[in-house]
Amino acid sequence: MNKNYVNLDVNPCKMCMPMGGSLAFKGIENSMILMHGSQGCSTYIRRHIATHYNEPIDIASTSLSENGTIYGGAKNLKHGIMNVMESYSPKVIGVLTTCLAETIGEDIRGIIEEFKQKKDISCLDIIPVSTPGYGASHFEGYYHTIRNIISFYNEKQAIPNEKINIIVSNITSADIREIKRIIELFQVEYVLIPDTSETLDAPYKENFTKIPDGGTSIEDIKQMSGAKATIELSVLIDDIYSPGKYLEDLHQVPLYQCPIPIGMKNVDSFIKALCTITGREIPVSLVEERGRMLDAIVDSHKYNGEGRAAIYGDPEIVYAVTTLCNENGIKPMIVASGSKSYKIRDLLKLNESVVIPDTDFETIHKYVKELKPNLLIGNSEGKFIKEKEGTDLVRIGFPIHDHIGAQRKLYVGYNGSLRFLDEITNTLLDIKHHGYRERLYNEFYVNKGGNKNAQL
Amino acid sequence: MKDDLNKVVDKILDKYPAKVMKNRKEHILIKDSNENKEISANTRTLPGIITNRGCAYAGCKGVVIGPIVDMVHITHGPVGCAYYTWSTRRNKGRTREGSKNFINYSFTTDMQESDIVFGGDKKLAQAIKEAVEIFNPKAISIAATCPVGLIGDDIQAVAKKAQKEYGIPVLSFSCEGYKGVSQSAGHHIANNNLMREVIGTVDIPVEDQKQFMINILGEYNIGGDEWEIKRVLNKIGYTVNTTMTGDAEYEDIAKAHNSDLNIIQCHRSINYIAEMIEIKYGMPWMKVNFIGIENMSQTLRNMAKFFDNEELYARTETVITEEVEAIKDEMKHYKNMCKGKTAMLFVGGSRAHHYQGLLKEIGMDTIMAGYEFGHRDDYEGRDVIPYIKLDADTRNIEEIKVEKDEKKYRLRIPIERLEQLKKELPINDYPGLVVDMKDQTIVIDDLNHLETEMVIKALKPSFFGSGVKDKYIVQKMGIYSKQMHSYDYSGPYAGFRGAVNFARDTAAGIHTPAWSYTIPPWKKEPILKGKINTEGVEEVC
Repeated sequence: MNKNYVNLDVNPCKMCMPMGGSLAFKGIENSMILMHGSQGCSTYIRRHIATHYNEPIDIASTSLSENGTIYGGAKNLKHGIMNVMESYSPKVIGVLTTCLAETIGEDIRGIIEEFKQKKDISCLDIIPVSTPGYGASHFEGYYHTIRNIISFYNEKQAIPNEKINIIVSNITSADIREIKRIIELFQVEYVLIPDTSETLDAPYKENFTKIPDGGTSIEDIKQMSGAKATIELSVLIDDIYSPGKYLEDLHQVPLYQCPIPIGMKNVDSFIKALCTITGREIPVSLVEERGRMLDAIVDSHKYNGEGRAAIYGDPEIVYAVTTLCNENGIKPMIVASGSKSYKIRDLLKLNESVVIPDTDFETIHKYVKELKPNLLIGNSEGKFIKEKEGTDLVRIGFPIHDHIGAQRKLYVGYNGSLRFLDEITNTLLDIKHHGYRERLYNEFYVNKGGNKNAQL
Repeated sequence: MKDDLNKVVDKILDKYPAKVMKNRKEHILIKDSNENKEISANTRTLPGIITNRGCAYAGCKGVVIGPIVDMVHITHGPVGCAYYTWSTRRNKGRTREGSKNFINYSFTTDMQESDIVFGGDKKLAQAIKEAVEIFNPKAISIAATCPVGLIGDDIQAVAKKAQKEYGIPVLSFSCEGYKGVSQSAGHHIANNNLMREVIGTVDIPVEDQKQFMINILGEYNIGGDEWEIKRVLNKIGYTVNTTMTGDAEYEDIAKAHNSDLNIIQCHRSINYIAEMIEIKYGMPWMKVNFIGIENMSQTLRNMAKFFDNEELYARTETVITEEVEAIKDEMKHYKNMCKGKTAMLFVGGSRAHHYQGLLKEIGMDTIMAGYEFGHRDDYEGRDVIPYIKLDADTRNIEEIKVEKDEKKYRLRIPIERLEQLKKELPINDYPGLVVDMKDQTIVIDDLNHLETEMVIKALKPSFFGSGVKDKYIVQKMGIYSKQMHSYDYSGPYAGFRGAVNFARDTAAGIHTPAWSYTIPPWKKEPILKGKINTEGVEEVC
């Protein structure tokens, strides 16, 4: 089921590791990112994040030039840190490597140590993370970076505390706000990382600040190794990248891995984890939210039953969306991801669907032509398939460049899942209303026999 | 006023550590027509300063090569670079009958760790084979990303072999991201190869040669600009033989040497080719500007003068009159809305200059302008070229030497007339941005985020034309910011009809009611306007 052609990736369905690293650091309070490599890396990544979030995305570069590739980039890295420090006064600088830095074998840890010995930077933490563009995709880069941020502050185990660690996937700012609201209903303390709820969806304020407010605080991160438990909203990430696994293996923090809480089952398992860890009953308001969702999905099942979806994007989102589709009778015909998360096949156990990790959009397009789904569910890069095949696209994930408001759309929890499901159902209804009279007329009255594969 | 601007500049520089201050000072100048000031440009960006510059790969694949419609452009490298250049510049391209269009595609070898360790040439060769089998394109390009040069993949050899095997041109570009100091290096690398491998390889038979046949250079058809320009040129009677490289097919570029004149829109990205074509084929080039009504009209008149044909002169005037007549009322309306507002432009290597005329036409002065990757000649004019000190980064970019092609070289107009015209028209010349700026305006090269913030706070413009990376900083500061790379998915902005689009968008951006809410009512004093008497509020307005 893999790509027939294995050497040419046509219209990639994944980005590079430093992209994931940047998204992770964007959720850390008072932090700046310095990318060690050519200028292009930071420029391209900033462009892609800014177009999705409509927010300033400041990522500095060490601007390595040809000279640096020969003599090493230590000087550039040190100057880079110095300049970011003096002009932005952050508390944290995340140093991410790139293809260039990794290929020439830069010892960023060593260089940073040298820098620290010469300069007094007691109020600044410099966190190096190795993210070669060829190492893995943005999906792995994201978790790998969170893991590195946590391990940076938790070499020694923190004093045991009652907090719950929540490690979130690359979901929207609105989603993070919703997850916080749900946890707060349980009246427990928590550390959520990376918290992009404010940093990547900042309100208009009278005074512009260079580094946006919000983000997970360092003090909180330092307590993660003493937490009561970790809930990691990820079921597909390899153990070597998993931040929750690190905390479990090294500091014996019990780990609960749940899918992104999109879809009844997935929200249930998130809530169940919270109940188990806190020993509390599910709050009444959540019971009501669940009831409202259930009521709604009963009502809309007859429309959803006509859905046939091609789902693609980041593995965790793809997994959660597929669950939601399955719950509502929307047939997942194609389940695809650019990252190498082969585990998704075992977890989904879909015998009648095409499940393709490690693929590209050209392959997804090929299957769309063959299986004729009536819905595409994924990021905006599916727009080319939409344009060519006329298949409607319901957007979720990163990046969304052709619509606005991606950061404030809600997908998680019972409320978010229902809003998202409604969006899907209404898309199906729009398709239906667009042509069903003509189809019925042709099929039953003039008896031309309808095209079964036509859109509804 | 002068003192004020000096203070603004000092305030910006004050924020920097000493070394940075010294460096940045040379990139900033206050225009004063009484002295010729030098500006430092095309030098390395300081590490850690948040620049808007990109890399050589962006300039080569992203800007110059990418827009060629019927080629498969393979990015040889890990996945990111190809992903980030997938339809991100808005270079439009139409599909010709019987031909193919790969503009909406992104191709990459998606190199993995093992390819970095053991070399990626084999994978590249296989990828080319697959591209030929699946897509059967007219030609293929290979663009190298950072690791390729470092691990020593011989992309030239792979290309050469593939070209022989599949019988189609396979061009290879060693545009590794670390080369040069900005995307400008990539432009040069792209220019070199187009000149070496493509231009001059297909001759137009004499019977198919058209009168007034021209090439548009440095025009990438962002948002359909080239289509609007071409519409007007065709209306006058010109034949656009090729455009480099917006909406171009491979063969169009191969035929470029058959035209009579190269007209150059973006000087920075394509002047190398223009110069080389003149040396090799005897075709002169002329700097043009299609942005703004006055600039567009002047450009058309300059072109007519070059060809010196009565009918062409007459057509030019008729078309200008017609086109201006059709838009003048709308332009007047927008001018009324924008009059007296001020603008700042920070774009690329030409737009920061080109748009000043159009802004002026809607009543707006440009008070600050700068290029992301321009060279000194783009600021100060080509006269300074002999005096530019090349640093190591620029010297590392190959300068290719071309010679007169004895068979294909022909003078388009008599040499005496050409010499005479050079005195009257911008032939083989570009006077740069600074000369067109008003006194007491600021020019800043490679503007960074810190400076953007400072300069906006100090001079409070109504319009900031730049890119998406600084757009949201500027807008969070309460100033309208327009993306001058993607036109915020609007356009075209070139030519006559484009001018109206730009004027409309700009007026809308400056006047959106949103700005009136930036100060909430509870911060405005007084909240209620009206007379208060003993019985309460009266006549609230």
